[in-house]
Amino acid sequence: MSEKQVRQQFADTMLAVGLEDPDLVVMVGDISHGILQPFAKACPGRYYNVGILEPTMMSMGAGLARAGLFPVIHTIAPFLIERAFEQIKLDFCYHGLHGNIVTVGSAFDYAYLGCTHHCYGDFALMKTLQGVQITYPSAPIEFDTLFRQAYRNKTVTVYRVPGSQHGIGFAANDIQLGKGIKVADGRDVTLVATGPQLKTAMSARSLLAGSGREAEVLYIHTIRPLDEELILASVSKTRHVVVIEEHMRSGGLGDDVLRATRNLPNIRYASASIPDTFIRAYGSYEDHCESVGLTPGRVAALVESEFAR
Amino acid sequence: MSRPANAARAGMGEILNKDLRRQIVDMVVAGKNGHIPSAFSIVDIVAHLYRHVLKVDPKNPKWPKRDFFILSKGHGCLGLYVNLHRQGFITDDDVAQFCRRGGMLGEHPDSLKVPGAEASTGSLGHGFSYAVGIALGHRIKGRENRIFVLVGDGECHEGTIWEAAHVARSYELGKLCVVVDWNQSGMQLLPHDDLPAKWKAFGWKTMVIDGHNDAELTRAFDDVRFESKGVPTAIVARTVKGKGVHMLEGHGIWHHRIPNAEEYAKIMEALS
Repeated sequence: MSEKQVRQQFADTMLAVGLEDPDLVVMVGDISHGILQPFAKACPGRYYNVGILEPTMMSMGAGLARAGLFPVIHTIAPFLIERAFEQIKLDFCYHGLHGNIVTVGSAFDYAYLGCTHHCYGDFALMKTLQGVQITYPSAPIEFDTLFRQAYRNKTVTVYRVPGSQHGIGFAANDIQLGKGIKVADGRDVTLVATGPQLKTAMSARSLLAGSGREAEVLYIHTIRPLDEELILASVSKTRHVVVIEEHMRSGGLGDDVLRATRNLPNIRYASASIPDTFIRAYGSYEDHCESVGLTPGRVAALVESEFAR
Repeated sequence: MSRPANAARAGMGEILNKDLRRQIVDMVVAGKNGHIPSAFSIVDIVAHLYRHVLKVDPKNPKWPKRDFFILSKGHGCLGLYVNLHRQGFITDDDVAQFCRRGGMLGEHPDSLKVPGAEASTGSLGHGFSYAVGIALGHRIKGRENRIFVLVGDGECHEGTIWEAAHVARSYELGKLCVVVDWNQSGMQLLPHDDLPAKWKAFGWKTMVIDGHNDAELTRAFDDVRFESKGVPTAIVARTVKGKGVHMLEGHGIWHHRIPNAEEYAKIMEALS
């Protein structure tokens, strides 16, 4: 696993791209201020720590795009995706404008802070908006590669930056916006994982191998547009699919996998995800994963219980 | 319905833009939709801007050096449409298709359809923040474009107005000028309505004028310095909702009412 945090890579990529592209502008809602200082110093007049006013920061981002710039808007996920949802919908999407939304603190990454700082429904919300691209880069190389591929696209792109990583070392050439990655071959069940939960999927695969089940593992770093072709090819073979994600069951990647495979006969499906409820408990990220079943043992058990019948 | 207090202080002179007001009423009757009083409240301000202030080119609505006019209170769009028509941005046929299937003009403007409409507004509190971003963006690009925004006083209930006012002042967006359509809609609900004091408190250069008086509009816009880095300006314009036709004035049923034949005749007589 890279020792560098994906969030640090975000700051490093802003600096690198900002030096190449004079139209890149970064606005933050009073977070990541320290790590973005190199960008601020190297790109004067293009860094704004706007303050605690996320809806206006979002609308201003749309205004920057209208002026021909490429805005990056960054703060904690619930305050951008949920509080400023209408600004994304109307000021960006309805106006046909482009922009980049970089969140931290999605799902329960801010585990100790309670439900005000959780955001488990961001995929679902963003999928209701026309043309929005949703990425979940869970290693530094993924953020850098996906950002460079997407940031000048003529639409809004969301980058869900996680607090942990999956630990698989992909090369930049492996990463293409909108394309999933087959990480491991198998014939009995397809494990579709997104975000740091790829690590869970790979460990679950090892557990399942002990009981003679071969799991194929697909990694999805782009939730939208979704690589349905890769998923269909795998599930057509295995006929069993489990989706593993740090998102509410409703509206997550699992729903898209179900839709993509709806015409395949005799498919069995299960979801390892966050229940459609507030996670009111406190504790660590790992505690929360344990409580909702996002562990290798629980995923392996899910496969056994759902598919052994 | 009693006349609003502003009626005693705004627009006591000659009724301006009777032709535009008649056109607004005709569009509402033909399209069977529209907010006549809201449009009458702003039509003199918008007409003044397009005639005397804005640098725009109807033949090239996307002219890069143009001034931007953003109607943040989108439900007043008839006041914008008739001026875009008069200036030649949109055609007779476009106007005839108001609120009809296939037409480009609806009850709120769609900037991807309407030449000269710089923002798709309707949900209040968006256009102003968007305009602040445009102003900042043009400054980053080193351009001289001026940005004008018209907001409603009811719209000033929205928190985003004050978020954006705070940012614009702190960032010294001197090319930004907001006109507040102070027809006292807002004070019906929240009577603490001293909008000039509020804009001053946020550090804006603030003027109070009669929004139905061309001479005062001229003086106000002449007094804006439009510095690239300077204090933004708020022109708080006392207006009368429904201004120009006594029966339409105020905050009652005419907000979204379509005149019947008898009412239409009375309105047109008042505007003759």
